[in-house]
Amino acid sequence: MSGAGRPARILDPGMCLTLRPMAYPSFFEMYRAAIKNTWTVEEVDFSTDVSDLQKKMTDAERHLVHRLVAFFATGDSIVANNLVLNLYRHINAPEARMYLSRQLYEEALHVQFYLTLLDTYVPDPEERHRAFAAVETIPSIQKKANFCLRWLDSTADLNRLETRAHRKQFLLNLLCFAGCVEGLFFFGAFAYVYFLRSRGLLHGLAGGTNWVFRDESAHMAFAFEVVKTIRREEPELFDAEMKRDIAEMFDEAVTCETQFAEDLLGKGVVGLSVREVRGYLEFCADQRLATLGLPKQYGTRNPLAFMDLQDVQEVANFFERRVSAYQVGVVGDVVLDAAF
Amino acid sequence: MLTETKSEVTKTGATKTNGATPSRPATGARATTEESYPQTTMRVRKRNGTPEPVDVNKIVRAVNRCCLGLSDVDAMRVATKTISGLYDGATTRELDQLSIQTAAALIFEEPQYARLAARLLATYIDKEVRGQEIHAFSQSVLAAQRLGLANERLTTFVGNNARKLNDAITVERDREFEYFGLRTVYDRYLLRHPKTRMVIETPQQFFLRIACALSETVAEALELYRLFSTLEYVPSSPTLFNAGTRHEQLSSCFLLDSPEDHLVGIYQKYTDAAMLSKFSGGIGLAYHRVRSRGSLIESTNGHSNGIVPWLKTLDASVAAVNQGGKRKGACCVYLEPWHADIEDFLAMRDNTGDEASRTHNLNLANWIPDLFMRRVEADADWSLFDPKLVPTLPDLYGDDFERAYADAEEAGLASKTVKARELYARMMRSLAQTGNGWMTFKDKSNRACNQTALPGRTVHLSNLCTEIIEVTSGAETAVCNLGSINLGRHTVRAEEGEGGVSFDFEKLARTVRTAIRQLDRVIDLNFYPIASTQASNLRWRPVGLGVMGLQDVFFQMRLAFDAPEARAISKRIAEEIYFHALTASVDLAAEKGRHPSFEETRAARGELQFDAWGVTPDGSGRWQDLRTRVREVGLRNSLLIAIAPTATIASIAGCYECIEPQVSNLFKRETLSGDFMQVNRYLVAELKPLGLWTETVRAKLKMGEGSVQALAELPEDLRLIYRTVWEMPMRSLIDMAADRGAFIDQSQSLNLFAESPNIGQLSSMYFHAWKQGLKTTYYLRSRPATRIAKATVETPVPPSADAAAVACSLENPESCEACQ
Repeated sequence: MSGAGRPARILDPGMCLTLRPMAYPSFFEMYRAAIKNTWTVEEVDFSTDVSDLQKKMTDAERHLVHRLVAFFATGDSIVANNLVLNLYRHINAPEARMYLSRQLYEEALHVQFYLTLLDTYVPDPEERHRAFAAVETIPSIQKKANFCLRWLDSTADLNRLETRAHRKQFLLNLLCFAGCVEGLFFFGAFAYVYFLRSRGLLHGLAGGTNWVFRDESAHMAFAFEVVKTIRREEPELFDAEMKRDIAEMFDEAVTCETQFAEDLLGKGVVGLSVREVRGYLEFCADQRLATLGLPKQYGTRNPLAFMDLQDVQEVANFFERRVSAYQVGVVGDVVLDAAF
Repeated sequence: MLTETKSEVTKTGATKTNGATPSRPATGARATTEESYPQTTMRVRKRNGTPEPVDVNKIVRAVNRCCLGLSDVDAMRVATKTISGLYDGATTRELDQLSIQTAAALIFEEPQYARLAARLLATYIDKEVRGQEIHAFSQSVLAAQRLGLANERLTTFVGNNARKLNDAITVERDREFEYFGLRTVYDRYLLRHPKTRMVIETPQQFFLRIACALSETVAEALELYRLFSTLEYVPSSPTLFNAGTRHEQLSSCFLLDSPEDHLVGIYQKYTDAAMLSKFSGGIGLAYHRVRSRGSLIESTNGHSNGIVPWLKTLDASVAAVNQGGKRKGACCVYLEPWHADIEDFLAMRDNTGDEASRTHNLNLANWIPDLFMRRVEADADWSLFDPKLVPTLPDLYGDDFERAYADAEEAGLASKTVKARELYARMMRSLAQTGNGWMTFKDKSNRACNQTALPGRTVHLSNLCTEIIEVTSGAETAVCNLGSINLGRHTVRAEEGEGGVSFDFEKLARTVRTAIRQLDRVIDLNFYPIASTQASNLRWRPVGLGVMGLQDVFFQMRLAFDAPEARAISKRIAEEIYFHALTASVDLAAEKGRHPSFEETRAARGELQFDAWGVTPDGSGRWQDLRTRVREVGLRNSLLIAIAPTATIASIAGCYECIEPQVSNLFKRETLSGDFMQVNRYLVAELKPLGLWTETVRAKLKMGEGSVQALAELPEDLRLIYRTVWEMPMRSLIDMAADRGAFIDQSQSLNLFAESPNIGQLSSMYFHAWKQGLKTTYYLRSRPATRIAKATVETPVPPSADAAAVACSLENPESCEACQ
């Protein structure tokens, strides 16, 4: 395995070590941008969350939150594992691997965030343990895990992507990872958080989730950029069979996430219905498909108006919120006559 | 807009005619749209517990009653969408709440829904209050008394004048509110029953209560009520929180001098800060006098750990004491840059490094002598000192400071010497990375302060929001109570054909006089949580009258924020406010007496604020007359003008904050009551007649983070007017602040903005702010390096990737990454 030369294509097996000349500078830029957005769990202010949970929320809403936290607690770990075991192994460009290393750190940070959240929200150690066993004990979460298993683990035994079939298998893994897990399961889960926040509930959860969402958005953008690269280099992988598989996978993901919604909202949550969540998931799936240049499957408009809030910049009242919009790694020297 | 809505509704099978029953939507699995709702028999539980089937017509009628005069809202849409979010067995209360939220969620599409949501909420509040048998204003005050919430002065005043006051309530004024404003009032300001947590007053009863609590006569109360309820003038949050209650702490700002350099002094300050914070005050605290790291402690022969551990304790204390359960405590610590711990201080807000040295709850400010800026200019060295060795520096400014500093350098007392520019760069980095480490200027603040006429009087810090400049000492804790005039409600639209909107300076003058009288009254009513505040406030009687909605004025007048005409108006507003505030204070002095320390002020010598700026105001005749009157009669208040950030009260008033340009044409506010969408309604009003308020334009606005610069459809002049603050040169903001500064005897909360800041740009910007003579600046706002993916924007289907690859390599072979 030679590390000095650049492989012709990003999926050519190997461990390329050559950063100059750089084949994919956009991955390196993404890495640098990610570094600037460093945050820590310690900055998240959970001070009002517990009293919200105890005093302001209904049983049905508490059920929703507990299920959600149980999903988050394991979801990011699943993502991290796939990143190490599959993506890092096969995406053969050192600048892309730099990004993945950074992403791995961010996934760990998310796990730490949700762990802190769980410790804060769930005082009973037994119940905490049960949350981590959600993959086995809570059917609606188990179904999601099975979905991941089916589409992600198929590449687990591949050491090298030697054949076209291997590459297609890997591509499906990547798409499941970026499009379905990050682009649908997480987008879906974030929607519940923002729904609660639009009612003024659980600011700690929402504040941290904002940062998680910012990270996940970048992860998804990176993964789709990799997909675009593969497609440019090996357009033949995107054959009819592939397109069929993708459509099937998304449809399965929407169904899977809908049954999760049925569990979460099953006890009656005012202002959010399974029907609306399904519409939102369909809308999200369509957007992912469109990004891939595939026809939209559902043609659904986004029914969750509160998600509009997610797409506009925040103006925090500093008396009430800590502002989350700063950058690290600011550079330059003192000059007194620069333009401003 | 309307046609669009109509076609959507038709798609689902529901007719738009109000009152008609919508037919069942097509049930194809993939035909879900937001307008449909399941046709299962849904029931709600009424307030008495009996179930009742949900009736769409009933909801439509209820919504319709609130739609009067709102041309572009659709009651049916709100009703059907409300039902679709309901579950079987929900309560009618939940139904009402949901209909409000549903209307509010449509604000982005059509800003009139903000009005509709506000009216629905007003109805909801009214129901809640009446449900407790509270109908008239006097009944709400009686209820407050019964529950132990109201003070006796208020209840007596209301008891004696019940009929006149009850008649004054003007329910229609509820319609002045935008949704976000009313929501804020409901969630946080209205008095609540201590057990049931239900509100016991309506918004109008609330305004009248505040007005009564701040007045000596009924006529005064009615005039104040008129100003509040028309949202023309709004007092600060602590006044709105506490007026008429048992603990009438009405002041916003407290400035605590640095603790003395010993344990007892340091711990006493924690208590002081906690007491002030409990009653809604924001805290400024200097720390110049406390010895630095490594300094010898004689009694134990050990070495000090410096100021950071003390501030870490303060950080925890601030987080622990919230403001009466209404908002979080907040504190800003000031440090002069000669203090040997300055570098550790600047790192306290970093989000990396040793957590034991990080204070996530504290705000930080640099209190900078001119000498430092001159050393930066000359690229010279800068010495850091342990205050234990140079104890006089905090109390000196100007030449005295510079002599003492030079002597200390010569005597070899410096703990460390650094390049001034290195430290300055560190300050800039802290601003860019955390927004904190505000740049405030000690010498100008002292030279141009009315209270520093006598030697030994020193301003040691500004406050939490950098708009208060008052002297402090060990015995005096400075206090200020605030109120802000909504400039956006001081304009007049010319008669048909006579041109556009102009600013109403006469109305402004009247409002200023009423406001100053009210602010002065607060000084006597105020409950003082610690003794050193009372001592200071009764001697100096400072008040801080500010403004909000300057941006509203410019939008109404269709002026770009930094256009020459806008600058002239901005300056003239400042001048008029200062003139009429001084006049009102002279009148009050004639009526009630001058403040006890008047003879110790610069005003007693005939010096006014603009003299310290070397500015001669227009119409100098009236100023000469006023100067003479000030000298002869005296002033009731040593300080009058301070422009606060108005974060919360601008929300209540539905205007842009203080003197700030808009941050975005589309943004959300994050508050304790949740997140709220804000669309620039002036922009929408311009776009609608052009047929440009479409889904495409809205998506572009979203993608552009609220900027209109990418809207090629928009005429050039509108693009200029509707720039966001990110698109504006900061030089103009600073220059406008300086123009205004000559008429502001305290200071202004001036935020500065930089999209992706670098040290060079920031160092030039703050250097300019200092050169222009600003006393203080506030946050540096910047934007995150990566963004959250747009969750609700349609992704266009790209052309086939294979074709794109070919095209790219053909058109641009050199830069195509694929070919390298």
